[in-house]
Amino acid sequence: MSEHLSVRLVKYLPAFTLDVAWTAGDGIAVLFGPSGAGKTLTLQCLAGLLRPDDGRIVVGERIFFDAEAGVDLSPQQRRIGYVFQGYALFPHLSVEANVGFGLRGRPAVDARRRVGEVLERLGLGALARRKPAEISGGQRQRVALGRALAIDPAFLLLDEPLSALDAPTRAALREELRGILAEWGIPAVLVTHDFAEAYRLGDRIVVYEHGRVIQSAPRSELLWQPASEVVARIMGIRNVLSGTVVKATADRIQIRWRGLLLEAVNSPTRSYLPPPESPIAFFIRPEYVRLIRKDRGAPDAAHHMNLMAGRVVAEADFGTVWTLRLRLDAPGPPAQGDFDLEVEVPRLVYEILEIERDRHWQLSVHRGSIHVLPA
Amino acid sequence: MSAEALSALGLSLRVALLATALNAIIGVPLAYLLARRRFPGRALVDLLVTLPLVLPPTVTGYYLIVLLGRRGWLGAPLYAATGWTIAFTWYAAVVAATIMALPLLVRTAHAAIQSVDRDLEKAAYTLGRPEWRTALEVTLPLARNGILAGLVLAFARALGEFGATLMLAGNIPGRTQTVPLAIYTAVQTGESGEVLALIAALTALSGAVLVVAGRLGARAA
Repeated sequence: MSEHLSVRLVKYLPAFTLDVAWTAGDGIAVLFGPSGAGKTLTLQCLAGLLRPDDGRIVVGERIFFDAEAGVDLSPQQRRIGYVFQGYALFPHLSVEANVGFGLRGRPAVDARRRVGEVLERLGLGALARRKPAEISGGQRQRVALGRALAIDPAFLLLDEPLSALDAPTRAALREELRGILAEWGIPAVLVTHDFAEAYRLGDRIVVYEHGRVIQSAPRSELLWQPASEVVARIMGIRNVLSGTVVKATADRIQIRWRGLLLEAVNSPTRSYLPPPESPIAFFIRPEYVRLIRKDRGAPDAAHHMNLMAGRVVAEADFGTVWTLRLRLDAPGPPAQGDFDLEVEVPRLVYEILEIERDRHWQLSVHRGSIHVLPA
Repeated sequence: MSAEALSALGLSLRVALLATALNAIIGVPLAYLLARRRFPGRALVDLLVTLPLVLPPTVTGYYLIVLLGRRGWLGAPLYAATGWTIAFTWYAAVVAATIMALPLLVRTAHAAIQSVDRDLEKAAYTLGRPEWRTALEVTLPLARNGILAGLVLAFARALGEFGATLMLAGNIPGRTQTVPLAIYTAVQTGESGEVLALIAALTALSGAVLVVAGRLGARAA
């Protein structure tokens, strides 16, 4: 992936400072983070709708903004396709006129042909004369995309493109959006506070919090190893735990936690080598903790790594899965308030193992499922 | 209706229509600037435009004399250069009516422009439209009903203007005597029977205007 977009921005607002730097290649970069983290502010700076106080924005070979050199292209000069939250379609204009809005200045014949082409490609041909109020939410999304794509933009900016839709439509339109972006092949920056959306749509994910970037990584790397405990928390990752390093090598890390010796795989892309006895954060995904069946003989250490034992102290039914909270037998205060580990089991497993009746279990976690979080 | 009453009615309509046109030309851009731009002196401009709404019309008229009268800040140099003064001409009635109606239009249009989603304007900018084109193609069309309602109110206000007109234009039958002035004069001289038709005409016109403005306002909201 070539570096298509390079962004460094500082913007001071009365109660908030945006101070971010990241780069992105030709695919889709997702700005992910809680509301109020500065994601939309970043888009507005990229589009030239808001002037940063400092920094530099470069797209391909073009400098959009450079505080030091005094360069600041207007939104009109930048020619970026901006898909607004809620779409911002012109309510007094037809679908056709909305899509053609950015083509003023081209010869009328060209503009008409381009509009027809875009409407056709997005399956909007039959709606050309309708007003935005007369079409569905999904169709509006396509019109907004079409209006932005019609001008052959250097790249697209999409601000929470799915937030205006209700939940059932959302998943379907997420896939549709993915398809359209892939098909048109235009690099895009997309803002969302929904991790599933970020993960499904992003080639690169830039994690925002309080006006800062706390991680920027290709999607695969992000899930493999969030950069910090903060990222894990923002992403809604459970079982974020802290232990002590016993030994770290390029491919393994041994961790002491709750009187146990756990073994984790070190990151394949960038090994993390903390010295022995240093504190270390890690997380275990609840769906990757295995309960060991009692009808298959005693667990053996060769097959079941990272063995531990504990008792179910709380549980919750989520329909297709049960979430169990276990407290380990090891003495000492539990790691997460009144429990040590959250474990998720499919409903069928819960019923077959009769967990409702049988509360004491041995657990095992594969070393590949313990994710180390660099400090 | 007497010839005098008819001439008053004709003058009133002419003055009110011209004042409304001037309101559209001056007031709409002013409302746009107040709604969308931050500039030094903005609060002062807003205050000056709105003042005639709360000041006694005679006080507004007094300021207009200070500004435009034969010895006024602008009037004196004009008189020195051309020997002409606006005071006691029907143009003065137009100026007085314009200034008195302006706050009604500007406030109504301001609110209508402010209610237009700013993202629509931003979208137009990213699609290559300069600000003035965006105002003409997006903002003002979407604020249209509010602006029209404001113009209708301004027309009604201009039609009924009395105090400021009397101060700047005087009360010269056939030249600057508008319908409200004619009614006042007639009642003062005990000839109110003469102007009953004018009173009825003004009442009907103002009522119609309120109905139209109400409809436009309802559609704008």
